[in-house]
Amino acid sequence: MRLFGRRKKRRACVVGLDGVPFGLLKRLAGEGVMPRTAALLRGGGLRQMRASLPPISSVSWSCFMTGANPGEHGIFGFTEVEPDTYRLRFPMFGDLAVPTLWDRLGEAGKRCAVINQPSTYPARRMPGALVSGFVALDLEKSVWPKEHLRPLEQMGYRIDVDTRAARENLDGLLDDLFATLETRRRAAAYFWERERWDYFQVVVTGTDRFQHFLWRAVEQADDPRHDRALGYYQAVDKFIGEMWDRFHQGAAADHEGEGFLMLSDHGFCELRQEVRLNAWLREQGYLDYETEEPKSVAEMAEGTRAFALDPGRIYLNVKGRFGKGCVEPEAAPALREELAARLTEWSHEGEPVVSHIFTREEAFHGPRTELGPDLVVLSRPGLDLKGTTRGKEVFADTHFQGMHTWDDAFVWSRLPVPDQPEISDLAAVIEEWLRA
Amino acid sequence: MAKGFTLWFTGLSGAGKSTLAQRVRDILLERGLKVEVLDGDVVRQNLSKGLGFSKEDRDTNIRRIGFVCNLLTRNDVVAIAAAISPYRAIRDENRKLIGRFVEVYCKCDLDTLKERDPKGLYEKALKGEIKNFTGVSDPYEPPEHPEVMVDTAAEDVDTSVAKIIAALEEMNYIPAAAGGEYSADEEETIKRRLQDLGYI
Repeated sequence: MRLFGRRKKRRACVVGLDGVPFGLLKRLAGEGVMPRTAALLRGGGLRQMRASLPPISSVSWSCFMTGANPGEHGIFGFTEVEPDTYRLRFPMFGDLAVPTLWDRLGEAGKRCAVINQPSTYPARRMPGALVSGFVALDLEKSVWPKEHLRPLEQMGYRIDVDTRAARENLDGLLDDLFATLETRRRAAAYFWERERWDYFQVVVTGTDRFQHFLWRAVEQADDPRHDRALGYYQAVDKFIGEMWDRFHQGAAADHEGEGFLMLSDHGFCELRQEVRLNAWLREQGYLDYETEEPKSVAEMAEGTRAFALDPGRIYLNVKGRFGKGCVEPEAAPALREELAARLTEWSHEGEPVVSHIFTREEAFHGPRTELGPDLVVLSRPGLDLKGTTRGKEVFADTHFQGMHTWDDAFVWSRLPVPDQPEISDLAAVIEEWLRA
Repeated sequence: MAKGFTLWFTGLSGAGKSTLAQRVRDILLERGLKVEVLDGDVVRQNLSKGLGFSKEDRDTNIRRIGFVCNLLTRNDVVAIAAAISPYRAIRDENRKLIGRFVEVYCKCDLDTLKERDPKGLYEKALKGEIKNFTGVSDPYEPPEHPEVMVDTAAEDVDTSVAKIIAALEEMNYIPAAAGGEYSADEEETIKRRLQDLGYI
C-alpha cells in the first residue's frame, strides 16, 4: 500500500485495430504471428465485445469515442437520407450530438492526442491534438491544431490506402497497407514526443481494408498472398509492441498494462455473397422506383413502403417522416412486424439469410432514437447485407472477401471492463481510470 | 459541458465591431444559444455613465464590461462585447478573468475609417474638436494573438461573419450548423470512397 506517497500521474493509451475480430486476434497470437500481442494475452484481459448496431465503423467508433448509443450521439451510419428528398447525405464530425471522451477529459484538465480516429472529419479543436481518420478527405482539414500539419506532410502521412486501385491490384494494396501503417507509426512516435498528453490513441484502419479485400489471404494457407498477409499482421503486432514499450518507459501505470487498451470496432468474417436489401424489398413488393436503374433511394416511386440504407437499416416510408411517406403512422407497427416476420422466414440455399432483427427501440435509446431506422437487420456470416439500389438480383457475387460482424469485436484491457462488454462501455472505463 | 464564452470585439471606432457583433448574435441565437451583447456605446449610457476618456476611465469601463461578461459566461450565456478597448493589458486582464475568451480584432486602416466616418467623429478629431480620440490623439494597442482577425477594409461583412463563426466552430465553442454539409465535390469523393469499400 502506498502511504503518504505521491501517486503517479495516470495515463491511458489506446490502440485501435479497425475490424479485427476476437477470433482472428486470438488465433494469430496463438500461432506466433503476433508474438507481442500473445504476450499481452497470456496475462489475461482479452474479451469478445459487441460492436454497435449496425456494426459499421462510423457508428461503432462514435459509440467508442462518446460512450453513448446512436440514439444519443445521432450517428446511425456512413449515410443518411434527407427526409424530404431522400437525397443521400454523409454525417460529419459536427453531427455528433454529444461530447467526446476527449472533450470530457479536457474539462477535467486532461490532454489527449488522437490519431486516425474515424468519423472525426473535419477535425475540430480539442484539448490536445487530433488527426481525423476515414472519411477524411483533406489532410489540412484533418489536423488540429494546424501546427502539426507540416510535420505530418513531411513524414508523408497517409490518411488511408487507395481502395479504388485495390480492386484491380491486390499486391499494390498490400504495398499501400504497409506504407500507410509505417506513416501511422511515424505519426504515433511524433505525437508521443511532441504532445503533452494524458490520453493517447492511435487507430490502425488498414486491418479493415485488408480484410475487406484480402480476408482469404490471411485465412487460407494456400492463398498466394498468405505469407505477405501474415507479414502485415506481424507489422501490426510490432507496432503494438512499440506502443506498449513506449507506454511503459515512463512507468505510467502502477501495474503493468493498466491504462493500456486495445480494441476493434467490429468483427469480420468471410464474405461469400452480397445481399441487396433494396432488391429484396422490391421483390417483396415494398419498394419500387421511378427509373429503371436507380442510383439512390431518392428515385423511389410513390407508394414505396420501405427502403434500406447500408448496411442493414430498414426505414418504413411513414407519412410525416419522409417526403413521399405513404405508410400511416398508426399502420407502421403492423408493417414492421410483417417485415420482421418475412425477414425471419427469408432463406437462401436452404439456410436463413438473417441472424438477428432489432426494432428501433431494441437497438437504440436516447433523444435521437426517432431518427434511427425502424429495423436493424444482421445477416448470417457469409452473406453481406447492402443498402445499394443497384441491381435487380438480390444475391450477387463480389470481389470483396470479408464482411463486418457484430458480436466478435474484441477489447484487451487490464482495467475492469464488463463481462460482456459493448463498445460504448469503454469510454467510461477510461474516464474513470484517468479521473481517479 | 460549459456553453458560455465571451466574444470580445476590439478595434477602432467605425471598424465594424457593433455591426459584426449584431450579425454574430443573430446567428448564435438561431443556433439556440443564449446571447447578450454589451456594446461600448450603450454601456457608456448606463453601466459606465459618467466615465470619461482618460486612460483610467477607459480601463474602468473595460474592466466593468469584462466583469459582466464573466458573470454571463459562467452562467452559460455567450457574452459579446463590442468596445474599442484600446489597451492590451486590460483586455488580457479580462481574458485571464473569464477564461473562455475569444478575441476578435476588427482591423481597419485609418484612411478607410476617415472615409467611412458615419458620425463625423474622425473629421472632428482630426480638427482637434474631440480630445482623446483613439487612433488619432489616443493610442490603440492591437492584439498580438487574437483568436480571429477580420480586416473590415478588405472584406465584406458576410466574409468577416463567416470567419468568426468558422473559428468558433473550429474551437468547439459552438456546434457546427445543423445544415453543415460537404461541398458537391467532397460529397462525390466520399460517395466514391464508400462505394470502393462496398458500403453504398
